[in-house]
Amino acid sequence: MTMPAQPSLRKPAMRRRAFLRSQMRNIAPFVTLIALVAFFWVASPSFATMDNVANILTQISVAGIMAVGLTFVILCAEIDLSFAAIANAAGIVVAYFTTQASYVNVHNIPLPGGVAIVLAILASAVLGLVNAFGLTVIGLPSFIMTLAMMQIAAGICALLVRGQIVYAVPDLVKELGAGSIGGVPWIVIVLAAFLLVGHIVLTYTRFGRYVYMVGGNREAAEYSGVNVNRVLAAVLVISAVCAGVAGMLGVAHFGSAQQNEFDGYLLDAIAAVVVGGTSLFGGRGGIGNTIIGLFVLGVLNNGLDHVQIDSFLKILIRGLILLAALIINVYAQNLRSGSVQEAD
Amino acid sequence: MIAPEENPSIGTRLRMEGISKSFGGVTALREVDFELGPGQIHGLVGENGAGKSTLMKIIAGVHTIYQGRMLVEGKEVRFGSARDALDAGIGMVHQELSVVPYLTVAENVYLGKQPTRMGMIDWKTMEKGASEQLRNLGIDVNPRTIMGDLPIGLQQLIELARVLFSGARIVILDEPTSALSPPEVRKLFEVLEGVRKSGRSVIFISHFLDDILSVSDVVTVFRNGRRIVTERKANIDKTWVIEQMIGKGHEDIEESYTGAITLSSEPTGTTVLAVRDLAFGRAFSEVSFEARAGEVLGIYGFMGCGQIELSRVLFGKLAPNAGVLTASGANLRLKNTAAARRAGIALVPESRRSMLFYQEPVFKNISISSLGRIAKLWLKPRIEKWIAEEQTKDLNIRPPNVANLLGNLSGGNQQKVALAKWLTYRPRVLILSEPTRGMDVGAKDDVVKIVRKLRDEGMAVIVISAEPETVLALADRILVMKKGRIVHEFANETISKDGLLEVA
Repeated sequence: MTMPAQPSLRKPAMRRRAFLRSQMRNIAPFVTLIALVAFFWVASPSFATMDNVANILTQISVAGIMAVGLTFVILCAEIDLSFAAIANAAGIVVAYFTTQASYVNVHNIPLPGGVAIVLAILASAVLGLVNAFGLTVIGLPSFIMTLAMMQIAAGICALLVRGQIVYAVPDLVKELGAGSIGGVPWIVIVLAAFLLVGHIVLTYTRFGRYVYMVGGNREAAEYSGVNVNRVLAAVLVISAVCAGVAGMLGVAHFGSAQQNEFDGYLLDAIAAVVVGGTSLFGGRGGIGNTIIGLFVLGVLNNGLDHVQIDSFLKILIRGLILLAALIINVYAQNLRSGSVQEAD
Repeated sequence: MIAPEENPSIGTRLRMEGISKSFGGVTALREVDFELGPGQIHGLVGENGAGKSTLMKIIAGVHTIYQGRMLVEGKEVRFGSARDALDAGIGMVHQELSVVPYLTVAENVYLGKQPTRMGMIDWKTMEKGASEQLRNLGIDVNPRTIMGDLPIGLQQLIELARVLFSGARIVILDEPTSALSPPEVRKLFEVLEGVRKSGRSVIFISHFLDDILSVSDVVTVFRNGRRIVTERKANIDKTWVIEQMIGKGHEDIEESYTGAITLSSEPTGTTVLAVRDLAFGRAFSEVSFEARAGEVLGIYGFMGCGQIELSRVLFGKLAPNAGVLTASGANLRLKNTAAARRAGIALVPESRRSMLFYQEPVFKNISISSLGRIAKLWLKPRIEKWIAEEQTKDLNIRPPNVANLLGNLSGGNQQKVALAKWLTYRPRVLILSEPTRGMDVGAKDDVVKIVRKLRDEGMAVIVISAEPETVLALADRILVMKKGRIVHEFANETISKDGLLEVA
């Protein structure tokens, strides 16, 4: 019964090793990032410039805002495959309710900008709620539910724009998506705000604790009297709303809204969260990890454009480097879990 | 220690020398020596966290990092995995069975090495072989039966058969009798007798000292990660073993578990939870009872009598098919466990795994259920830690550092953390399912004290167990469940274990 405290960990060297092992999840992605930066720094003179740093920040913004919401979902050991399509839908909804130029052949309903924004956010929240309903009430796996939602959201996009491209968005959205203040793009500031709020919610609020506990051991959370379904519903709505904001700003950022606009971000945001070290099995990781993951992805995407490689080969290289980062990540996590064996 | 020269005809099958092991910073084993002879049944006893399970997991290749030497048949070995151990003839039957419930008995016996004919599974050979194997052990069962349909005791024997069949000359049994009914235990002992006669060796870990003493040749006692003593069974008795385990005389505990108990419920307490004609699927029906403040209500019944499902329905985890729950006069509709918690009903399930967060620190495990009271929006970690420290002191949880990861604590201490979670919340009705399962005498005593204290403070406690001793030691009033119904109530009378078993 009595287990006198830690005679084997008295040596500082051992304690440091144990600490390092426990932090491998966070260290490995960071090392990956530094390695990538070092490589591109050497390989390309145009990579390590202030302008390019600003570029990278801007390039990761849209995926980054999505990744904030996705981090909540993955921490709960669930997955959202619909957020990119929901982002697309929100972007199209906000444009649909904005006055378009006369040559745009879409039968839209112009409304005041504020109303259009509220409707777009509401639309994404409703889609998130439908996800939540399927998961918690019907009992569908999130993988299947959000896969269906991906199609549904794409269908909404298709019906609204009917293959056309729309351009105009409310001024506020336009400013936040494409404008800048004092040389800093607004979209980067919005990303920073989302990351900060996401981090604060996950780390310092009761809800954030529930997210980690539900992800760490769902059954235990339920037996502790936590309303697990409510937490799961909340993270899916959070993910959808983050996607909605990302979608609106993305439309302004790229200057147009059209079908399948954000499909590529599905992989990018999931990869950013997981490469950053947040466990797909839930309960471990956080916004800090997602930030590192975003930079790994941003540096990779951006850096490959600065070196002389066959541009078709780049896609393959990108995939291979992502795979390597994931392998390092999983390996680091195994190291860690090896240090916590259940004593009996 | 039995010197090998006492039995010059037989050598040593397994020898462990100077084994030490720690988890995180918690030392589980210190310089342990251990010896096992051929054809020997070696009983292992000790309190929770004494180190016996850890030593067994080293022997079975589950824990691969340790200090010290291990020799099998005189040859030094170092296992890298459970597979290595099995190849060296060491098999383990864990407390949680690892059978495949959806496959047949024959498939389970031959798991991983089914005989084939032209690439197809040779069902005939397999069924005949399994049947023979089992009959050799005195187990008579149709090899085509689906494993999950068999009683737990039989499943365990079949798993044992599989381990022996895979060529194990050393079999480790971890708490094999805790889930078994008395006839099943007798059957297991018969089988073990056969195993001994065939020259194979058995290590038998149990908290049930009677079981240990009736089946073992040699008994080893562990305490605080050390091997305290090894002695022939002929030379010892139960009281002596308990003294060795605890380190001091403990006749008073012993008494309360075996003797006759006088139940004295106080009908003065107000009814805090009333159940009318509750039913759930095929598990139980027409269950009615009242839980009163300041009383411990015991619900006793064999495994599978519906008591586990009852506990889940009371806690809102399962929705009943029929019946009414009322708390303090108002009807309750428990949509989920959170609703039960808000209604003042709490459950500690029989498996601690299902209510603990192994990768989180102790204090987060303790505070989780009460988080809504400690913090509305913003977390208050300092208050959480303070509360956890108080609980740690009250329940004597070791080590007392609340920032420690739960996974680094010993099993008994983890169980106390599970209890601490609800003690912090202070429900009006506390349901304890198998509160002392797998616990040693000392820890059981702690649980008895905690439950009595809660009762005296006015809590309604419901103790659900398949162990008569547990119910007898704790309850003021006892309901007996049998095949999904409540068949008897004991109140204000003197009963013993025999009386309880008679009606169940």
